[in-house]
Amino acid sequence: MAKTTFAIGGVHPDDSKLARACAIEVLPLPSVVYVSMAQHLGAPAKPVVSVGDKVLTGQVIAEPGGFISAFVHSPASGTVKAIAPFKDLAGREVPHIIIDVEGDEWVEGVDLSDTLITELPDREVILDRVKACGVVGLGGATFPTHVKLNPAPGSKADCLILNGAECEPYLTSDYRIMLERTKEILVGAALMQKALGGCRTVIGIEENKPEAIAAMRSALASLPYSGIEILPLKKKYPQGGEKQIIQAVMHREVGSGALPISVGAVVQNVGTSLAVYEAVQKNKPLITNILTVTGNCLPVEKQHNYLFRIGMPLSYIAEYAGGIPKGAAKIVSGGPMMGRAISNMEAATVKGTSSILYLSEESTRRKLESNCIRCGRCAEACPMGLEPFLLRRLWKAGDMEALEANAVQDCIECGCCLYSCPACIPLLDHIRQAKGAVLGAIRARAAAAKAAAEANQKNS
Amino acid sequence: MAYIVSPNPHIHAKVSTRSLMLDVIIALCPAAVVSFLFYGLSEIAIMAFSVASCVFLEWVVNRYMLHRASSTGDLSAVVTGILLAMNLPPSTPLWVVFIGAVVAIGVAKMTFGGIGQNIWNPAITGRVFLLVSFPAIMTDWTIPAGGLIGNVDAFSGATLLQQVGLLGAKAADAMVGLETLFSNMGGSAGEISALALLAGWVYLLVRKVIKPWITLSIFATVALVAGIFHAIDPAQFTGALFNLLTGGVILGACFMATDYVTSPMSAWGGVIFGVGIGILVMMIRYFGSYPEGMSFAILIMNTAVPLIDRAFHQKKFGRA
Repeated sequence: MAKTTFAIGGVHPDDSKLARACAIEVLPLPSVVYVSMAQHLGAPAKPVVSVGDKVLTGQVIAEPGGFISAFVHSPASGTVKAIAPFKDLAGREVPHIIIDVEGDEWVEGVDLSDTLITELPDREVILDRVKACGVVGLGGATFPTHVKLNPAPGSKADCLILNGAECEPYLTSDYRIMLERTKEILVGAALMQKALGGCRTVIGIEENKPEAIAAMRSALASLPYSGIEILPLKKKYPQGGEKQIIQAVMHREVGSGALPISVGAVVQNVGTSLAVYEAVQKNKPLITNILTVTGNCLPVEKQHNYLFRIGMPLSYIAEYAGGIPKGAAKIVSGGPMMGRAISNMEAATVKGTSSILYLSEESTRRKLESNCIRCGRCAEACPMGLEPFLLRRLWKAGDMEALEANAVQDCIECGCCLYSCPACIPLLDHIRQAKGAVLGAIRARAAAAKAAAEANQKNS
Repeated sequence: MAYIVSPNPHIHAKVSTRSLMLDVIIALCPAAVVSFLFYGLSEIAIMAFSVASCVFLEWVVNRYMLHRASSTGDLSAVVTGILLAMNLPPSTPLWVVFIGAVVAIGVAKMTFGGIGQNIWNPAITGRVFLLVSFPAIMTDWTIPAGGLIGNVDAFSGATLLQQVGLLGAKAADAMVGLETLFSNMGGSAGEISALALLAGWVYLLVRKVIKPWITLSIFATVALVAGIFHAIDPAQFTGALFNLLTGGVILGACFMATDYVTSPMSAWGGVIFGVGIGILVMMIRYFGSYPEGMSFAILIMNTAVPLIDRAFHQKKFGRA
């Protein structure tokens, strides 16, 4: 089949999948874990344990703080030492439950065996367990999965897309699970397919991972499910962007400000699929994920793909992997295009952690900005069809109306513009600020309109 | 140890203003070498002096007038210097070259704020200033002695384009054949070999430095306009091939009209820009008082670029 991709923009950074050959290793538990209450998009979770309580591995320690929120479970057994603010990787204080680890004794009812379970339970059971096990999207946004799998009345999913693009350079965690946990991912896909009412299911994988494509295809042939297909995608960043992969797979464009379900699409990461499998078939809550320890200043033999528990300090993992390498100028959590620079290595892992990436000074230090030469590379690279050079100019001029008219709010912050700018102009830095301001203005307008409508109703 | 903390993206493509300008310089090399071969040491001197003047002037303006860090490292002044030299007759005195550099860099480029800010292509602005200020020098096509390729006919005096006026369109048309692709004596240094220029252009396309639309639309428009007029009256109007291969059409279309700074950013904008240049150059050649009009055509269309850019926008994702 001809390989497909999204239509507008995109860039081709070297994929640098240096850790691709490293099999997943299990990290031992540290003596203390720091479990964040804000590991998902939406409202922070509310602790349901108190200081001094004994907890077991997999026990609920916090419940959803709103409709868009998720359960959090203990990653180890031990005693709750404190419930207190603790700094995240950017140094911001977030409520954490801090647990002294005494062992790894699991709550009852969790199947810890490796037996593959392929029979699918009822839709309600699937949705309940996904919610109860605190599953969130592991592709980056950490959106609560049960919300996505349960579209609002009136909207119907035509296609479930499993995102195995892993278009960010360096990251190899999705690649490794596609090789090592292939069947579990496919069962997870079938579970989500069933939850969505049995729609077409496509697993999109970029062509630079032929082993993963082959493994998925052969595993699929051995499983009894129908309506699931493997689709190789051309290598292009940001293929894994939600709107981009929908266009690549379904050739449909999600409108500005609209949700994927508006074109009948639901996108889930392959890592999420594995978490769904473990939640539904094994009753195992989401307290583990895979992260890649990699970078261009780290020798390949020191690179790793680790199965970690949430709440492990990043410094603990870095230390276990052999320490921060010499020559590392920036430490990133996530990929080099969209990840976040770590300023606080004492921060703990969360459900969505995907890497500790060490970048050398030469590769990551920003060059001095010079004049725009109007080459148009930023506009050509933008996957949303925006004109970053223009947006930056408008932001500097403070023209909010023109910014909105030129769709600054559609920016997905993928970084293609700044990546490709020969003058090294910090385009995305400015556009991100402009986007925030315009979104704020749009929300304020909507709130004012709503208030006016309510006032009208009261008067009439 | 402190680590860098900055927003994403954390890596950058291996492209810079300097690397792009270096590609343009490489692309200009074949045509420059041809000009050295035909016009000899004096041409080497003109080009070296032109480049040195441009770089020096940019440095001086940055250092002593704008009081800011030098921008000569981006190599754009080198490109301007080479292009300026290629737009001059081989017998141009060096002091005239310097005046051209002052206008190109000092006036057309730095007055507007340096690279990226200028409205008109600096090298062309320099050349046009010289053309209107020193018409005799700028149309003296005497070929200097010392060309490395011997047997250059002493016949020079006028370019093929000027001979249209002397001999008539038919005779001039007859003088253009396939061999004109390789060498077209009697003209600005950069206009000798169409093939060398096109080789450089193809290099820029392969390296993805420029898009082909502007250049192709200029060629197509020149061919179409000349074809139509020639079909109407072959005695008065020269044909398509003659107009494509003579004068500065190829040099201008490949290297001057494609200047990022002074051309539209969108593909369709580029086509409009190219069509405009093609029509203007043919109108000047057929009906104007100058035998050649490429420089004027490009400068006029440079002026229209902000308007063209305003009219053409990218197709946005998820919007009608």
